[in-house]
Amino acid sequence: MLGYLRRNVSLLVGVVLLTILVLFMVVGAFVVDTANAQPLSAPALQAPSWAYPFGTDRQGRDLLAVMVAGTPLTLRIGFIAGFIGVGVGAVLAFTAAFYRGMVDAVIRGIADVGLTVPGLLVLIIIAVSLKGSLTVNQMAIVVASLAWLNPTRTIRAQVLTLRERGYVEIARLNGMSGPEIIFRELMPNLLPYLAATLVSSVSAAILASVGLAVLGLGPVEAPTLGMTLYWVNFNAAIINGWWWWWTAPLVVIVMVFLGLFFLTVGLDEVANPRLRRTA
Amino acid sequence: MRVAYVGRRCVVFLVIVWLAATLNFFLPKLSGQDPVRTKLLEQASLGGYVQGGIEDMVKVYQKQFGLDKPLWRQYLTYLSNVSRGDFNYSIANYPRTVAGMIAEAAPWTIGLLGTTTLFSFVLGTVLGALLAWPGAPAWMRWLMPPLWALHAIPFFLLGLILMYLLAFQFQLLPIFGGYSAGAHPALTFGFVLDVFRHAILPALSIILVSIGGWALAMRGMMVTTMGEDYVTFAEAKGLRSATIFTRYCMRNAILPQTTGLALALGQILSGAVLVEVIFGYPGIGSLLFQAIEENDFFLIQGIVFTVIVALGFTTFLLDVVYPLLDPRISYRRT
Amino acid sequence: MAQQTMRPGTGRRVLIQGGIAAAAAVMLPPGIGASEAEAAEIARNRTLVLIGINSRDGRWVDHGLWNPYAIGANHQNGPNLMYEPLAYYSAFADKMYMWLAESFQYTPDFKQLTIKTRPGITWSDGQPFSAEDVAYTFNTLRDLGPKVKWGIDVHQALDHAAVTDPNTVVLTFKIPSPRFFFFAAYKYDIGIYMVPKHIYQGQDWASFPHFDIAKGWPVTTGPWKVTESSLQQKVFERRDSWWAAEHKLAPMPQVLRNIWLPMVGEQETAQAQITNQSDFGGPLQPATFPTVIRQNPKITTYSGQQPPWGYVDWWPISLYVNTEVKPFDEPDVRWALSHYVDRQQIIQVAYLGAETISTLPMPPYKPLLPYFAAVKDLLAKYNTIEFNPKKGDALLAAKGFKKKGAMWEGPDGKPFTIDIIGFGAAGSAMGPVLSAMLKRHGVAASMSLPPDFDERFQKGEFVGSIYGHGGSIREPYDTLRLYQGKSIAVPGAHLVNFSRWHNPEYDKIVDEVYITDPHNVAKLKDLFRAAMEIWLPALPDIQLVQNYHRLPYNLTNWKNYPTDHNSYINSASWHLTFNLVLWNLQPVQT
Repeated sequence: MLGYLRRNVSLLVGVVLLTILVLFMVVGAFVVDTANAQPLSAPALQAPSWAYPFGTDRQGRDLLAVMVAGTPLTLRIGFIAGFIGVGVGAVLAFTAAFYRGMVDAVIRGIADVGLTVPGLLVLIIIAVSLKGSLTVNQMAIVVASLAWLNPTRTIRAQVLTLRERGYVEIARLNGMSGPEIIFRELMPNLLPYLAATLVSSVSAAILASVGLAVLGLGPVEAPTLGMTLYWVNFNAAIINGWWWWWTAPLVVIVMVFLGLFFLTVGLDEVANPRLRRTA
Repeated sequence: MRVAYVGRRCVVFLVIVWLAATLNFFLPKLSGQDPVRTKLLEQASLGGYVQGGIEDMVKVYQKQFGLDKPLWRQYLTYLSNVSRGDFNYSIANYPRTVAGMIAEAAPWTIGLLGTTTLFSFVLGTVLGALLAWPGAPAWMRWLMPPLWALHAIPFFLLGLILMYLLAFQFQLLPIFGGYSAGAHPALTFGFVLDVFRHAILPALSIILVSIGGWALAMRGMMVTTMGEDYVTFAEAKGLRSATIFTRYCMRNAILPQTTGLALALGQILSGAVLVEVIFGYPGIGSLLFQAIEENDFFLIQGIVFTVIVALGFTTFLLDVVYPLLDPRISYRRT
Repeated sequence: MAQQTMRPGTGRRVLIQGGIAAAAAVMLPPGIGASEAEAAEIARNRTLVLIGINSRDGRWVDHGLWNPYAIGANHQNGPNLMYEPLAYYSAFADKMYMWLAESFQYTPDFKQLTIKTRPGITWSDGQPFSAEDVAYTFNTLRDLGPKVKWGIDVHQALDHAAVTDPNTVVLTFKIPSPRFFFFAAYKYDIGIYMVPKHIYQGQDWASFPHFDIAKGWPVTTGPWKVTESSLQQKVFERRDSWWAAEHKLAPMPQVLRNIWLPMVGEQETAQAQITNQSDFGGPLQPATFPTVIRQNPKITTYSGQQPPWGYVDWWPISLYVNTEVKPFDEPDVRWALSHYVDRQQIIQVAYLGAETISTLPMPPYKPLLPYFAAVKDLLAKYNTIEFNPKKGDALLAAKGFKKKGAMWEGPDGKPFTIDIIGFGAAGSAMGPVLSAMLKRHGVAASMSLPPDFDERFQKGEFVGSIYGHGGSIREPYDTLRLYQGKSIAVPGAHLVNFSRWHNPEYDKIVDEVYITDPHNVAKLKDLFRAAMEIWLPALPDIQLVQNYHRLPYNLTNWKNYPTDHNSYINSASWHLTFNLVLWNLQPVQT
């Protein structure tokens, strides 16, 4: 296993990045008091020091505590929405692409209509109509409500191409049933593509949640990465030279995305051995 | 057969437009807010003086906008107006018309987003294809992580950082707006240059962020395509690797990518909301944001409907063109 | 380097962008403005570039509306410069500047008001201004009522306005209206815009745009003409002649051109100041001023280059609780909350020290100081700003609340919670701090910034709310009236009553204040004290801090802005009195 990881550098980097994040969250949860992610927990606007390794923000939140508490919250939004999105999307896409006809027309119609409405608009309207403050889980559901549209559409298109392949024709001629063909013939061929779709769905969901938060529609009191960026923007932290305030969430977000990215690249190589010779 | 196919797609397009328009009508209503009251109260709050009698004003204007009618009457009026291209007045900016406000904002967005989208699509697709191709130069592999890292940064945050560096620290470019204070819109070289300079930063933040996404999707498709038997066969035949790359792999991998482009337009508009807001760019995105903030039903509906028609039409075109790109999908009903 | 490899691509995009820019330029709406040559004549150092508010998304959507009564228009976005009032009032100088009106006189019962207008005033199209215009403006507002801004206020009070000679108009009221002239004068955001009868007659006020540069619209009596108005900027240029300069009431403004840019965000506004792209405003947060001043020493503020970086606006900010919701119907519960609020800490954390505390819901302006003095002993007894958690604990315990662990439980055994809503800068700056503070003292507070704040607040769909409001600036009526539940003196009056607090005794006193001459300070002081004797023990809203306007002034091109040493007016560019600032500005460069 280790030997394989050494050959598959991308997978290694992805696993390492995500492991660091998980370790950060897990160890952090034990070492750091996440109550300090609330305002008035620390002196305001401290640059990083031994006492506050990530510094503090203007309202006296300890940014280390904010990151320890906020990273899992943000990932939770991303993964809930991403998995719902790809799961629902894949089921719909396979059904549509395989059975065609009315089923396809309906599923495709719904996805098409849904996609023509700019997503953020719908998210904002949903966020607005849920009166009161949005909780992190509500936020995830709000984001998930649209996250299945894109996977449905793209996976369907992909299945359509595969469907015309010889091996599918042969399987059909051999009397395999629809679901059998889907799971035994189509699914394995689509795995890298599904993985890529999942990565982009998770990242899209995280970005959507950050976008909503920055517009001021996020959970105001939850220390998510999105809300941290809202405060960064609200306080013009960038030009005021409080670099530590935006560096921490930025680094975490970039690590999440890079980790997921290298993971897919690595998984591609697993799924498609032909690529190994150059890896 | 072709005529029937195109006719059928035409009907689908019309159904999509109708469905979307209907959704569009009811979604904002779901929030259960009263745009007229919100507008008047907001003005009153801004003025610091909450005037008596707001409720009376609210009633007068609800009547004027037809918001006191039953929902189904409003819906029918909406459909008939929309089919005539009449989006009514903006509630929050009465007596400005929605159509007028959209017409004013559209050129900015089409200019900015159209260009940046096409540019990042083409560049990202080519990059993604090269990344999957074993014959690509080795340094290309190092290009991808930074691009994907950039893709991970929200548009607006990259925008703010670029703004801080390029517009503020080095003062190379203007900070915000569509053109400079005091410049008079006229078709002169100076003005066009001014508009162009203002577009660089928002364009750069969109391009740098989106390239990674396109490249990743294309790369994923290429990996799948390259596992195909016909590619192995082509290799076995001893075809030139460049030929295999462009003719066999790219041509097949680009299909879902193209579908992605048509669909991305809707998402890009969502992303543009933030970019335009950050840079104070006077396009559709910031107009939409503002309409949402002001709860301006008619303006929201007008913008969304315009977008729906544009995107629906693109999808329709794509449906017609798709069989040309992929001969395996025929115009015949299968 | 990645940047170098990007360069060829950038170049190509540059070309494409250029084409699009040209296309965009061509497609801009026609009628936008003067020619390039004309525009070039005014130097930058005779131009005042300012960043206006109400345009956070970086656009002036109302650029086609120059009739401030049009429902989508807002005087804060430029019309405040154009339309002149009967009089200006500066609360900082406590001075009334008679303007289009030369004098006014009430009958002793305040049922009639005679206004003399100044002779020799002309509209910008050359037509004479007269009492006819004043009567027309008032009578139309009365007729339109709820259809336009200020219509309801005029409709409630005014029976009719009649012209007795070209310079005299007599207003007859339905009810005694001792504050009507003051109401019509410009101060802060309140005042009646006088419009030209010969243009407005026959138009629908609610939808008439009054904008056409070719025709010279908007037609006003002021010193400015609009030469461009677009999404991106509103440009005013000085007219060659102005009646007030001829009458020696004001100097001809030295500002030859005034450009209003829309506001984008904190960072963009700060950068525009630092790079001298803007001469004035818009509002910045306290923490941003040191950064801006360090990078551009020419930037100063109303309070100089030191905190609080501005002046006290007329909007003290309170924590409102909905007194119709249990347990907040109990005055002692409201007092307990007040004792849990460490206002000094709010100021330190939310405003970095650049703030002051508000003891009563009105600003400490000079004309109001006697009223503060009148209740000094009451305030000592009912200390609205006392931070004393022990007192708060005792009050709650006496009402049957119990501590369970660190948190309070109500007499019904349920946790003591308060959901606070807020909006805008104050909500964001203070909200999370306030909520964290209450939690520390055992109140399960939560904070949100709902997008439909205004509606929820007005309809009473809230428990707690951080809100500020305009009220009194010269005498106590306007603030007192904010807490009135019912009025007999003003029939059909719609009362705001944010905290939904009701007290018939209090209502009676406020009605008496209404019919009292606003200059009768002695009587008003007695009435104010009587009202506060009811108000203070009840504490309908919990006092927090003053609202500050923190506007950067750039001294590169202009000087003589209002400051605390030269406090002739408040400097908000969106207020109706901003013209007073424009007349006083002096160019720095010769």
